[in-house]
Amino acid sequence: MTGRGYDAPAHVTEVTKGEESGRPISGAARDAMITDNLGLAHQLARRFLHRGEPLDDLVQVASVALVKSVDRYDPQRGVDFAAFATRTIIGELKRHFRDKGWAVRASRRVQELYLELGHATSTLVQQLGRSPTVAELAVATGSSEEAVIEAIEAGQGYRATSIDASENEDDPLAARLGGRDLRYDAVDERALLAPALAKLPPREQSILRMRFVQGLTQSEIALSIGVSQMHVSRLLASSLEELRHHIGADTAD
Amino acid sequence: MIGASDGGSVDTLGEGDQVVLTFPARGDLVVLARLVASAISTRVGFDIEELEDLRLAVGELCLLALQGSDDWHGDLRLEFTVSSEALDISCTSGGAALAADGRGAEGDEADQLSEQILAALVDEHGRVQEDGSVRAWLRKRRKGPLE
Repeated sequence: MTGRGYDAPAHVTEVTKGEESGRPISGAARDAMITDNLGLAHQLARRFLHRGEPLDDLVQVASVALVKSVDRYDPQRGVDFAAFATRTIIGELKRHFRDKGWAVRASRRVQELYLELGHATSTLVQQLGRSPTVAELAVATGSSEEAVIEAIEAGQGYRATSIDASENEDDPLAARLGGRDLRYDAVDERALLAPALAKLPPREQSILRMRFVQGLTQSEIALSIGVSQMHVSRLLASSLEELRHHIGADTAD
Repeated sequence: MIGASDGGSVDTLGEGDQVVLTFPARGDLVVLARLVASAISTRVGFDIEELEDLRLAVGELCLLALQGSDDWHGDLRLEFTVSSEALDISCTSGGAALAADGRGAEGDEADQLSEQILAALVDEHGRVQEDGSVRAWLRKRRKGPLE
């Protein structure tokens, strides 16, 4: 490895020149190709960071793809191995994200961050006595400045699906309530929901939105906020109980 | 389309629209190129996977222009041009000169990696020397017709 770049493994070219067309590379030559190109796999994996996947997982996907590249490579076709491997590894990395439903989750992540920014901004305005900077919002939400800017920009299109839309007759929040969470059925007046939600702590609000607005499973929420699924289950139950309490109190007033 | 809950809440860019971004040729400012690429991709109608491809590709394009340049203190000029069949992006490093073999004096391996990454992400790409400047370019075709 040198500087920002990737050192093409010179001796690999020598090794592969001895292989016959159509025959898989095997033995020591195969091992050497894999070992010498692990740096390439690592560099390509790093290009896909910041999409919510740990580097270790990406490196693993890239490394497996590298092995496939070596096994499929035919040196007699005159294609540079690094170019062939790069294309294969990037293809596998993209497939990895596709298979995990990443596009949907990425949209949700931006959406969640946009919602988080609303809470963080309110909190920081109170703490600082002024509007927070993007850098301060990034620290408060544990995100990069780029992600914060992007969420603010992309968030403009999310307004119609935010909790503020819950007073609409076509309320997506109500539409998605179902199954065992029908405890919301007790809420006849939807207008009561938003003010009652506002009384919950930010994290509980966020969890309720993820569950009922965005339709995430408890496991997905657990992954998103870094706690166990059981803990999410408990938080949901207690939040719903508290919500019912607030709504009941408001109705009684 | 990212963020478009009803298909009409995000402004679109159409055929013939062009966006130009000029910024100091510094690696830490490539974030600007990615952000603009992201916003434009959304408005052109690319899906989120294509958008991420373009964010990655634009970063490589900037690297190529920088690595192919002997001037790291000038400006990078990014041009996004929308057509009915594709989004074309070019990155020009002003006042720079390519080496005779078409590669930068430094970072040949980095150049090669960037070009290989571009080859995997976009439909066409290249790098040329024009009027004393280095211009790296790419083309990403649409899957469907212009909306």
